[in-house]
Amino acid sequence: MPENYAYLLMATGVMFLVTFLLRGFAFMAFGNGRKTPGVILYVGRVISPAVIAALIVYCLKGTRFAAPLYGGAEAAAIIVCVLLHKLFRNPLLSIAASTAVYMLMVQNF
Amino acid sequence: MIFTKKCFLASFKASLPVLLGYLAMGIAAGVLLSSRTGLGCFWGFITSATSISGALQFLLVDMFQNQTPLLTVALITLSINLRYALYGLPLLDRWRNLSLPLKLYMILTLTDETFALEVANNVPDGEDSLTYCFQIAALDHLYWITGVVTGCLAGQFLPFNSKGIDFAMTALFIVVLLDQMEQRGNRLPALIGAVSALIGLAIYPQNMLIPSIAILLAALVALRGKMEVKQDA
Repeated sequence: MPENYAYLLMATGVMFLVTFLLRGFAFMAFGNGRKTPGVILYVGRVISPAVIAALIVYCLKGTRFAAPLYGGAEAAAIIVCVLLHKLFRNPLLSIAASTAVYMLMVQNF
Repeated sequence: MIFTKKCFLASFKASLPVLLGYLAMGIAAGVLLSSRTGLGCFWGFITSATSISGALQFLLVDMFQNQTPLLTVALITLSINLRYALYGLPLLDRWRNLSLPLKLYMILTLTDETFALEVANNVPDGEDSLTYCFQIAALDHLYWITGVVTGCLAGQFLPFNSKGIDFAMTALFIVVLLDQMEQRGNRLPALIGAVSALIGLAIYPQNMLIPSIAILLAALVALRGKMEVKQDA
């Protein structure tokens, strides 16, 4: 990877600025008792599951169905993750165990 | 702000689950950053200290590697962290009298987990609520930085095969989505998000997130009437 430190600093600054402004948004926009528009409240409520689902697709876009393992490592790890989470509702356990399954499969097969 | 031992211990106790979670996820993200990009713990430190965002900490590895255009970096950050825009609402009144530097620090550190603890506000009787919340924010901030920097060091100096550790990010999103799907009103938005992402991937595979997010936003706003009727029912 080309070590373009100026780019890395600017990208870090952009991520910081956008995240910080978002976290401060409610204080800036509604700090003096103004009413929140309905469409903002609605989007704020439903956007999280929609974006997370889109991110899951994004994470899995590199899955190779035509080469050995044929998506099997992804499928196995997802099944382990969902099953463990349905059973125990312990985020760390589900994440650690499914990641371990995935790493074992892609490293050894 | 009044600092007492009792109040600090209460904050620390409340933050213990976050300690575990942030260390584990931070280490995974740090290992991924240093093993993929070769960047050392300085970059782990500066990114984790300023953004304090789990999903972003994983996604920035891809962005750093590809030197993603800054406008795209801004749009990706905006869309994955948009939920934060409303986190201030329940805290507006309680934080009204905070001094500006403190308020800015509390805003900087307003992650999902810190937000949950600050809204719960389980401060011991007779102790100051703002001190309690500030300590939680600072501890959580410290845990996250520690996790990511530790991960970077491990990735740099421990010779282990980290191939596949990026699945931790996928698993993180799956777990969050499963929790959200417990609420019926979240199921249709999740389906819309997944379908939008597949369309985005099909039409613009080089940078699928931008079209995906545009499509899902348009679809969510278009279906607002239907969705709100459903949630009321």
